[in-house]
Amino acid sequence: MKTMKKLMIILSIVAVVLSSCNSSGKKKIDLSGAGATFPQPYYNLAFKSFQQKSGTAISYGAIGSGGGIRSLKDGIVDFAGSDAYLSDDEAAEMKAVIHIPSCLGAVVLSYNLPGIDKLNLTGPIVAAIFMGKITKWNDPQIMAINEGISLPDKSITAVYRSDGSGTTYVFSDYMTKISPEWKEQIGTGKSLNFPIGIASKGNPGVAGTISQTEGSIGYIGSEYAFALKTTIANLQNPAGEFITPSAASISAAAQGDIPEDTRTMITNSTAPGAYPISCFTWLLVYQEQNYSKRTIEQAQATVDLMKYMIGDEAQSLTTQIHYAPLPQGVKEKAAKAIAKITYNGNPLK
Amino acid sequence: MSDKLFKIILSSSAVIILLISGGMVYSLTSGSIPAFKEFGFFNFIFSPEWNATPGNEEYGALTFIVGTIMTSLLALLFCIPFSLPVAIFIGEYFKGKRIASVLGTIVDLLAGIPSIVYGLWGFYVLRPLIVSLGLSEQGFGVLTASLVLAIMIIPYAASLSSEFIRLVPGELKEGAYSLGATRAEVIQSIIFPLAGPGIFSAYMLALGRAFGETMAVTMLIGNANIIPTSLTDTGNTMASIIANQFGEAGGLKLSSLIAIGLLLFIITAIINYIGKLIIKRRNQ
Amino acid sequence: MKISRYRNIKNKALYIGVIILSGLTAVPLIAILVKVILKGWRQINFDFFTQTTPTTLDAIYAINAGEIIPGGIANGIIGMLLMVLMACVIAIPIGIICGIYLAENTKSHLASIVRFLTDLLQGIPSIVVGIIIYIWVVIPMKSYSAIAGGVALSIIMLPLIVRSTEETLKMLPTTLKEAGLSLGASYSSVVFRVILPSAFGGIFTGILLAVSRVIGETAPLMLTALGSSAVQWDVTKPASSVSLLIWEFYNDPNLQNMIWSASLFLLMFILILNIFAKRISNKWRI
Repeated sequence: MKTMKKLMIILSIVAVVLSSCNSSGKKKIDLSGAGATFPQPYYNLAFKSFQQKSGTAISYGAIGSGGGIRSLKDGIVDFAGSDAYLSDDEAAEMKAVIHIPSCLGAVVLSYNLPGIDKLNLTGPIVAAIFMGKITKWNDPQIMAINEGISLPDKSITAVYRSDGSGTTYVFSDYMTKISPEWKEQIGTGKSLNFPIGIASKGNPGVAGTISQTEGSIGYIGSEYAFALKTTIANLQNPAGEFITPSAASISAAAQGDIPEDTRTMITNSTAPGAYPISCFTWLLVYQEQNYSKRTIEQAQATVDLMKYMIGDEAQSLTTQIHYAPLPQGVKEKAAKAIAKITYNGNPLK
Repeated sequence: MSDKLFKIILSSSAVIILLISGGMVYSLTSGSIPAFKEFGFFNFIFSPEWNATPGNEEYGALTFIVGTIMTSLLALLFCIPFSLPVAIFIGEYFKGKRIASVLGTIVDLLAGIPSIVYGLWGFYVLRPLIVSLGLSEQGFGVLTASLVLAIMIIPYAASLSSEFIRLVPGELKEGAYSLGATRAEVIQSIIFPLAGPGIFSAYMLALGRAFGETMAVTMLIGNANIIPTSLTDTGNTMASIIANQFGEAGGLKLSSLIAIGLLLFIITAIINYIGKLIIKRRNQ
Repeated sequence: MKISRYRNIKNKALYIGVIILSGLTAVPLIAILVKVILKGWRQINFDFFTQTTPTTLDAIYAINAGEIIPGGIANGIIGMLLMVLMACVIAIPIGIICGIYLAENTKSHLASIVRFLTDLLQGIPSIVVGIIIYIWVVIPMKSYSAIAGGVALSIIMLPLIVRSTEETLKMLPTTLKEAGLSLGASYSSVVFRVILPSAFGGIFTGILLAVSRVIGETAPLMLTALGSSAVQWDVTKPASSVSLLIWEFYNDPNLQNMIWSASLFLLMFILILNIFAKRISNKWRI
């Protein structure tokens, strides 16, 4: 028993000593951020590279866009990551927030039809599939736009996300734009009531279900689909062309009219060659950085990180891991937004 | 150490537990108030709606309550015929022998597998198995989730029960043998009555674990917000909906999720209470 | 005395039944263990324990080159050890003492309330614990931290430790306690030197189960410790854990292989704890 007690005491002392370990010595800046799952692989890569250059370590927790915004609201993080920009209502509940787009991604339609590696679809057809109106692959509507491809007489199994997610939000945002029926029945949101189909958790869940179920189709994040090299459908854009999702076609979606604060959904973009279900993902920071007793060094480090993320080095990493870089016009708008960040009212360089 | 001081230390630990549980109930309640105010307390509990479309939001907990109770009770049912024999194996038949130690270690290892791995195993191995056995068309559902849940709670039930079976004093058993009892009879009339309360609490703990399990269930239950009417139906549980939606929820939805957390607390209390009543009845 | 046929059959049937069912139980366990080992062993090398997590790009290069993914889970291991240590320091003393309290006060009103509440705590989904600790610890500290993670884990561990301690103590013969007291020893001495050592087996099982449970927990840590890509010794900062890393690997299309190796690590950790526990409890058993 005595040894037990001794062991306990020693362990607690060790714990206390370890915790005070880092307080002495050179003041290392650590940044923390939380938010969307979608850009996490990219952020981890970019943040690591930033750390090698500047010595600032960054922790990012993929707890969901909602969780990230909540963390920012509670003042516990330096920045939040979100696939959806703050609505006016949400923004009204917080002090001024700056949206900085960090990269582009897309929602693609992955399907499982053995032997068929090219498939054309249109928005209304996809809407009909997910609403249970088109139930077979050899439906005349699908066959009409896929000449020369023999579609089997198989039922379509729709797969969707069971957890709340930005991917669902972007997907439904597009659907709402192109299908009035969808707008009424299902609507836009991070988690929706689909009338038919299988729900699976996370991108891996949906991708896994699709790969195990013949005749299935589901929506997943592009970076995921590209990495797994799954069969992806081409989607028709407003100009009538069938666009294959790729870094180029995704970036093209951001070439259109973008507001100054970049708060916009770029789905169903009319820009030439744009993939219709593309989206930004943003880094959110407070405009006035003096909150929760932050030091000016902390604020400066945050601004440096933001500048790095829209810089050439970080942006060049995106294509290597199947995300898409920001086009020049958006980068300029982002740079202007970053210039607005202040500490105690003084802008930070 | 003086007796008085010791008694004070004992009581203060009890007070700490009171404070923690009390604090949790308080935090959960204050977070749920917006939802209860909007939908009404009983209405919320018994409503099967879960509609997140903005402007039309309506939330209710019934679907998830049914899902949780169904999967957890089924899991307990599935696990008893396996964990009890294992407990008897380790604690009585092969007590102290090498093989009991090996089996015990394997069972304990089960407790250490992260639930996400259970979910993956269930997704890649169990689900296709169920589909190929023809038990269910798409493999997700109450049955699959309960099976995996049962495997997950076996270590809790078996490990603790085996310890209690082990602790039954040898003299009592020898007394029974000397009267001519067979091994089975000793187990039935000596070991079970004595280790019974301990074993029962081990199963209550296992049930509690099943109630709160999130990851594995959410990957296998199908996440359909409907009330399951048969084993092969999909459904959803309270822990699963909270875990799935919490990251992205705000406002009324967030409050509803917290309310579901509070309800889980309450339901666990009710089931525990019923369990205690059953034991009391048997003892009379 | 000859045993009647019926009783004889019942005896043998129970024996055989127990063996068969125990064997059957081992089947899914071994199936899962084998799968984890087969899929995970390749990634395990010295780097695995000393390097931090690889990025998705590292993984892409490795997969394209047909090599194993570089890097390791050192940030997760250190974070996990720190948080589990903190959780143990909080939960074990409180848990054992509360277990003693409940075992010594079977009739008291306060005790039955506490017993009831402990059982309640056991049923709370870990994510709800995470939500509450977020409110109680993370927001006041204005930062995600390993401390918050440790506190959340300790709450999850408490009920198991309390109840297993209580039930084990209740099974000890009262003669032990009476013998000690009749020798004139103080109440606390009897508890610490006679009763607890005899109950060690049951108590340690409860602790072991509790630790096994929390090293696999993800949801509460997401809301309290957040995660970190570097090895973090400062417990007031965000920290990672192996289970959190598994979640990150799950969401990254290129790091899927790491899920299994990280799980294998957790299993080896439990195994070592188990062996360690059995050694100690054999030494202490009366």
